[in-house]
Amino acid sequence: MSNSYRNQPTVRNIDLGKIPEPRLFILRNGVPVYLINAGTEDIVRMEFIFGAGNKLEDLPLVASSTNMMLSEGSRNFTATELNRLLDYYGTFYNLAAEKDRAGIVVILINRHLEKILELVREILFRPLFPVKELNALMKKRLSWYRINCDKVHVLATDQFFESIFGKRHPYGRKVHEDDFSKIHPSLLMDFHSKYYTSGNMAVIVSGKIPRQTTNLLNSFFGDIFNNNIYIEQARNQLKGEATKKVNVNKPGALQSAIRIGSPTINKRHPDYPGLKILNMILGGYFSSRLMKNIREDKGYTYGISSSVSSFDLSGFKMISAEVSKKNTQKAIDEIYREIRLLQTEPVGKDELDVVRNYMLGEMVRMFDGPFAIAESFKSVWEFDLDNSYYYRFADKIKTIGPDEITSLAQTYYNIDELYEITAG
Amino acid sequence: MIKFYRFSLENGLRVLVHEDKSSPLVAMNILYDVGSRDENPESTGLAHLFEHLMFGGTSAIPDYDKPLQLAGGENNAFTNSDITDYYLTVPETNIETGFWLESDRMSGLDFSHKNLETQKSVVIEEFYQRYLNQPYGDAMLLLKPMAYKIHPYRWMTIGRDISHVENVNLDEVKDFFYSHYAPNNAILTLTGNISPDRAFMLANKWFSTVSKRMIKPRKLPEEPVQNEERRMTVERDVPATALYKGWHIGKRDSKDYYVLDLITDLLAGGESGRLYTKLVREKKLFSEINAYLTSDIDPGMVILYGRLMKGIDIQYAEESVNKILSNLKERYPAEKEMEKVKNKFESSTILSNTNILNKAMNISFYELLGNPDLINNEVDEYKKTDRKMVAEVSQKFLIPTNCSTLYYISTRKD
Repeated sequence: MSNSYRNQPTVRNIDLGKIPEPRLFILRNGVPVYLINAGTEDIVRMEFIFGAGNKLEDLPLVASSTNMMLSEGSRNFTATELNRLLDYYGTFYNLAAEKDRAGIVVILINRHLEKILELVREILFRPLFPVKELNALMKKRLSWYRINCDKVHVLATDQFFESIFGKRHPYGRKVHEDDFSKIHPSLLMDFHSKYYTSGNMAVIVSGKIPRQTTNLLNSFFGDIFNNNIYIEQARNQLKGEATKKVNVNKPGALQSAIRIGSPTINKRHPDYPGLKILNMILGGYFSSRLMKNIREDKGYTYGISSSVSSFDLSGFKMISAEVSKKNTQKAIDEIYREIRLLQTEPVGKDELDVVRNYMLGEMVRMFDGPFAIAESFKSVWEFDLDNSYYYRFADKIKTIGPDEITSLAQTYYNIDELYEITAG
Repeated sequence: MIKFYRFSLENGLRVLVHEDKSSPLVAMNILYDVGSRDENPESTGLAHLFEHLMFGGTSAIPDYDKPLQLAGGENNAFTNSDITDYYLTVPETNIETGFWLESDRMSGLDFSHKNLETQKSVVIEEFYQRYLNQPYGDAMLLLKPMAYKIHPYRWMTIGRDISHVENVNLDEVKDFFYSHYAPNNAILTLTGNISPDRAFMLANKWFSTVSKRMIKPRKLPEEPVQNEERRMTVERDVPATALYKGWHIGKRDSKDYYVLDLITDLLAGGESGRLYTKLVREKKLFSEINAYLTSDIDPGMVILYGRLMKGIDIQYAEESVNKILSNLKERYPAEKEMEKVKNKFESSTILSNTNILNKAMNISFYELLGNPDLINNEVDEYKKTDRKMVAEVSQKFLIPTNCSTLYYISTRKD
């Protein structure tokens, strides 16, 4: 007997349920700590977040180098000692600087909490920025940079951001070879003392949180205060470049990387959830229009996707693919064709039902386990939003109709305004 | 402690279940005991191409993805030298859709010419994107055949040559399915918000009707012991010269495996690893350096690779690597350093167990190795390793006559 005689199981409604709300605890110096207590293993994830991203830098590489240098030597430990100790206690850590924020994520075994917090305080608040380590880091970064310049997807993405946000804004400007020689310890110390401060800091703790966590956080971080440094407001302006179509030449490349998109609204705008749903239909999941057409029907690419993302000062939408050179123009034409179709033809009920349920399932996955909950919380918190954003989003997924999608496509995917970047 | 239950259906399908009520989801993992090692040397890349074809639909369910997405699910798959693994997660109320889909495509595929041709060109684009159009992308395509002369590990999962994928025909594809895809060649694991009773009931309901098949017996040639140093130099237009080294090791289930894994951690675990500390941080010879085990079931390899800083002589860089290896053979590591790498194994195990999908994949793989209890006691295997074993195992494997070395020289002038 074949299973084809068996009927498809009934699909039940997907319920987001109640999103666990973090508990807020405020350290003596006013630093907010958000606690998400859940999970099955004796392990905790702590994210220390600072408003210290690229957005605030006057020169390229300053925010990221400041962040990377934090573990390169502190008042009480050398870089080697810091790394050896963190590894000894089985800790995973990740320093990262993004466009708006920077900081460190630490995942640690609960029984080592106190030891690790001491090391994190060294890293965040007592770094020395030793010149020898800095020079070595900049040489390494230059070497990584050169390798990245050989990758068409990196070339295309960098050009995309420069084109849509402009050469004069940290969101857009590219890094060049000579930037690596301009970084000195004093620049990083200055950046650190301005932006790695208590007034600019938050902590998100998730996992099976040990009872003494809040006390320990207070004793290690509760007495750190702002340095009274006058911070001049950045005068950078977001302004896309006039040229909409750019090809970055990479002789000998077998494939071209394509990036098509433009600046758009961000998470704070009421249309944002609708735009995310539109994006999903266009290129946000495996059965999206772009995947079905350009990969599954024509076989032009291993993968094509579109995304809508948010920075503090702007959102952006971006379609990406890597395609054999002979098919690049054909793929680009198909991308525009799919956008026009969404602007003119209403989305059918079956397709919309699939998208609704897939996205609701996605939301359930976003809250599966303490670490996922923490990341989802952070991504609304950093826009001064809270979990009500997700309830609104879920509601929009359930209620949006074909006409609204068509109208969003007309408003937000004006083809004349899209940038078209290729590298290859 | 990960508690799991195990049973087999009459058709030979093995089913394992681990309930974790803290998750709103269920993860379903199906491991097929087939990988690129089971390919004909003249038709490589088929196992991986086949993974793509598994999403091409059946006569009963023409589109695999849509019904799963309608159930709120998400899925993917991977192929390596040993296994092909399909996995999905779905909100717990809709897990039955997963059973329906997976049992259906285990029963039989709709082999269409159009699907085969499209997926061939998708896979060829993948070949370009991941291997040929990436700096250093072909390094492993070069190193593997240096180390393996007759065992199928000599080719990568993507295939030995693009033409192999181009030339596959529908008959070969059908034959591959019926000789490898069967309940008696698969392991089904469920983790997350599902009780063992429900899982077994559903497994019975959906999979017991899939018939057992004749599996093509695996008769792989044993790789002869390597007795000479193997070296190759290639020139490429890349920004920096790179060094690759690979040593043969034993099988995945040999005792030495854990010692070797610990050795690669002493060498390259985190920023405090010996290679990074000595050669990146102190001597500044490399911009990055790493070492790892291939984790193959048949005798695999230790792979070490590094990208050199500008102006560094590759022979000098290699000698410096060799010095660090000699040190492992001649001097016992400090107890503290041993504890460090063991602690790191413990915490990575705990971290991996925070995710239901990881747990499902791990349980399936350990079951394939014949010991699902490893999900709980593999850490003990690492704990048993002592300093003496580190030196002995290094002396046994990390020697020049067991090594293949690739110099990947940058021709770029600037």
